[in-house]
Amino acid sequence: MGAALGIAVAGLGIALMVMLGPDNRIMTGPHAIETSGSVVVTAPRLITWTRVQVDLLAELPAQKPVFVGMGNTVDVQSLVAETERIEITKFHTPWKPTLELREGQATVRGAPTALDWWYSSSAGLGGASISTSLPDEPVSFAVVAVGASNLSGLQVTLAYGIKGGFVKGAGLLLVGIGGVLGGWILRRSARFDAEFDANRGEAGELDEQVVFVVVDEDGVERELSAAEVEAGGYDVVDEDEAPGGAGDLP
Amino acid sequence: MTAHRRLLVALAVVALVLAACGVPRDREIGRIDKASATSAEVAAVYERYREVRNAAIELLDPKPLSTIETGPALAIDTGSFEVSQRLNDSQQQNTGAIEILDVETPRFTEYPLWYMSVARDGARGVKRVQIFERASAVDPWLLVSTPEALADTELPPIRTGSRGDAREVDATDDTGMAMSAEDAAVAYVRTLANADAPEAATIEADSFVAQMREAVVVNGGLDGVGFTQEWDSEPVQYVLRTADDGALAFVTLLRTDTYTVQDGLQVTWPDGSPQQAFLQQGIQGVGTLNYYHQVLIYLPGGNDKPRNNKPRVLGQFGGVVSGDAG
Repeated sequence: MGAALGIAVAGLGIALMVMLGPDNRIMTGPHAIETSGSVVVTAPRLITWTRVQVDLLAELPAQKPVFVGMGNTVDVQSLVAETERIEITKFHTPWKPTLELREGQATVRGAPTALDWWYSSSAGLGGASISTSLPDEPVSFAVVAVGASNLSGLQVTLAYGIKGGFVKGAGLLLVGIGGVLGGWILRRSARFDAEFDANRGEAGELDEQVVFVVVDEDGVERELSAAEVEAGGYDVVDEDEAPGGAGDLP
Repeated sequence: MTAHRRLLVALAVVALVLAACGVPRDREIGRIDKASATSAEVAAVYERYREVRNAAIELLDPKPLSTIETGPALAIDTGSFEVSQRLNDSQQQNTGAIEILDVETPRFTEYPLWYMSVARDGARGVKRVQIFERASAVDPWLLVSTPEALADTELPPIRTGSRGDAREVDATDDTGMAMSAEDAAVAYVRTLANADAPEAATIEADSFVAQMREAVVVNGGLDGVGFTQEWDSEPVQYVLRTADDGALAFVTLLRTDTYTVQDGLQVTWPDGSPQQAFLQQGIQGVGTLNYYHQVLIYLPGGNDKPRNNKPRVLGQFGGVVSGDAG
């Protein structure tokens, strides 16, 4: 049973290591998103996972300025609600998004770089990236064109995984191996114990010895045979299991 | 417990601990909301507020205030600055020790967001009970209400939820109270406008009511001058549930004093008074002075208990915001 659990844990560890690789993540992209607008955003309730490590890289041609950020959905929606945008309403890994166009103004009302509520954000010329862990709050990701620019030619690369996942997989593998070895050792130990008990049962009767000892008047100790004891009419006055026990003279 | 079982338990525990460390979790998204502000944001907002306000005081110019205040709070402060400018006086520097005593942050599903903070102004011996609001994700935090209570005034504790968030109350909700916050505002308006109004019996005859009534008596006693005082209120927006099932409401009252002076007479005010700053030539004929009063109204909870649960004013901040000598 212990070995079976050990194998299962080790298998889980190996699967985690193979799936994530040494960089702890699964990467996909770059993927093109066709838009002439200024915002691409994940829809409210799209992101339901927590503690997933997400790396997002947005790239634009011709060194156009771009912003990438993750914030609470309440904040992100307030920023983009009145802006024309591509909203990612469904997503299946590794990369199968459902995109919907929402009508609105050409650009967001304020510069995203000036806002203080982003949990993680970055801006750059021709590309920007963030690496963040999904918090236990409703969050949305947004890619926003900076200034009068737009997001035409946008390419997105996504990576997701578990922080330290490869090491954790290795840990599970070691724990599993330990379980298998422990189970094997315990099984061997149990088998040895059973054999020992069986042997002990057979040999016990042979090894059992009754020794009669008499101490004469001079205080000299002498061993008697069973026949002598029977013939001599001695009374056994004491009986010790341990060696050294002695019978007294009647 | 046999050695086999011990191994199984140890293996399961180690594997679970290892796997549970930072393991991703899929969850059901319930209400999409957020706390209006973190303590770090509140500290940053207050610091910026003090910096801008001090700069405005140094310049004796109310214009920078529009970046940290809005609505009646800005109107009252701007009026105060205008008084100082016209009287060529200086405002007191706001660099005294301001200690934030309490911050209450409700959770919101959409903008505007707001929070309440209580700050002790040791230099002036008052507690400022303030509401800061952020209209949208791209707007700054602005002070919208700032009634002041005496330093030793005990404010009722605010009810908080499991995540430490304050509970907002709809202004028309009278659950557990003698009346809703909106009704309390109306009752105050009617009582202040007419001491004999039936609503006067439904609210506490507190020092704010007494102070306003005294002003009416003084102004109404001027020979040859007709005096009327009218009151109105703005819609109530900021109400928090208190621990006793009552509520703490921030209400803005508008007051208009109208003086009708007989021909040949003139009403003037003493030098240095706000009225004199706005109506430097005094009033001949008809003149008005407009005031804002921001009041903090406590509506005690437990309307089923035999105790005084009439709404009462715990603090106020007000001033002249405009004048017209006709």
